[in-house]
Amino acid sequence: MAKSSFINKIFNAGPLILLYYLCISEVDTNLEKMFEIFSLNFQIILVYFWVIKRPDIMANGHVFLAGLINDVVMGFPLGISSLSYLIIIFVGTYVRNKSVNTTIASDWFTFFMAMIFSSLLFFSLLNNFSDLSFTYSKIGYNMFFTLFMFPIFWLLFNIYQMTFIGNRDA
Amino acid sequence: MSVSRDDFSIAFRSALLQRGGAQKFSVLSLIFLALIIFFLDVYGTKFTKPVRSFLNDVVYRVTFLASTPTRFLPQAGKNISSFFNVKEENERLKLELKKYKSLELNVEFLTDENKNLQKILETEYFNKNLSNIVLAKVLVDKNSPFLKSIIINKGTRAGILKGMPVTKDNYLVGRVVETNYLSSRVLLLNDLNSRIPVTLDEGAQAILSGSGTNNPILEYLPEDYETVEDINVFASGKDGIFTSGTPIGITNNDGTVDLFIDPNQLSFVTVNLNVQSKGKL
Repeated sequence: MAKSSFINKIFNAGPLILLYYLCISEVDTNLEKMFEIFSLNFQIILVYFWVIKRPDIMANGHVFLAGLINDVVMGFPLGISSLSYLIIIFVGTYVRNKSVNTTIASDWFTFFMAMIFSSLLFFSLLNNFSDLSFTYSKIGYNMFFTLFMFPIFWLLFNIYQMTFIGNRDA
Repeated sequence: MSVSRDDFSIAFRSALLQRGGAQKFSVLSLIFLALIIFFLDVYGTKFTKPVRSFLNDVVYRVTFLASTPTRFLPQAGKNISSFFNVKEENERLKLELKKYKSLELNVEFLTDENKNLQKILETEYFNKNLSNIVLAKVLVDKNSPFLKSIIINKGTRAGILKGMPVTKDNYLVGRVVETNYLSSRVLLLNDLNSRIPVTLDEGAQAILSGSGTNNPILEYLPEDYETVEDINVFASGKDGIFTSGTPIGITNNDGTVDLFIDPNQLSFVTVNLNVQSKGKL
């Protein structure tokens, strides 16, 4: 019994561990080496999905800390990724509070809104308060592929949730 | 109408302030905290700089450790394939050794001659001292769509300062843009923020600008200049940062440059402690 509870805890912590690992390791979802324009922000998909489905396993404090780590590794001003992730959490929680039942289509649309707000804040702050310059085409590609890949990861995370965590959906 | 407005405000307030269960902090409090940290970092007070530097050193080390499995697998594949090619490689190396031995005498003569000529010209190149070159290992090479940089395992403790040029096999790779006590961040030549004065084979001057892709672009070439393939590009040294004559790459027809060193394949680099930029990025 104790053993199965421990395993359940590990499965529950899976998304959070993945978020930390993506932020701190060299592993990235930026496949520019293979396909020049392909890059996606996997972290925001991960945060949004679990905030919508199981906010209890994606604690705000952990997401904030993961954002700080991401800033250090990527060389961004501290706090900017945290802010971006917190906006995602905010929109996700609002949608969760307002909706009774969600589908992949409704989640996809609300994710688009969350990503717009989050990216707008991220790039406005980066543009106005740092020396880093970036091209708008790259931002566009990044947002497009993030949005485009959302349903695929939604299905994968859903399978993970059904298989290892169980459904306690809103 | 008023009911739906109430709904909106309740859901909005709840999303911002909700706590309890696994949520020990509300989103609003964390947003304020993130903003405070952001502005403290951006306006770099005396207190935040060493804290950020310490944080960078710690996180870079952890990143290096966390990335070990992802580095190990491709490396293991390479090692296995090289194991099966040992015999062939041995024969090839023997032939190469023979060739290089015959060239050695020639090189020695040319080196002496070169040194004497540099002495006569009193160039900066002559002052290059090997003790002022620091070899550094690449700790983190995270491929970001917005910032092309690497993190090396040497920092201010090894004498590295912001602006110093970084090379690999004497080819220019980039320059140091952030220093910590035990680590530094190197901005690569293909980053969007990178601008370097260069000179081409025939003496034409230009600026090599990072484009965010693997091939930086030549800008501000002389009027009516037509870029052709296979022209060598060197650092001109006009900015006082890079040693003049450091090779960078060769041109393509479209005005882009193929770098001699692939920025995605760096494992060890050298930092030239002789030169340091006085400017910003």
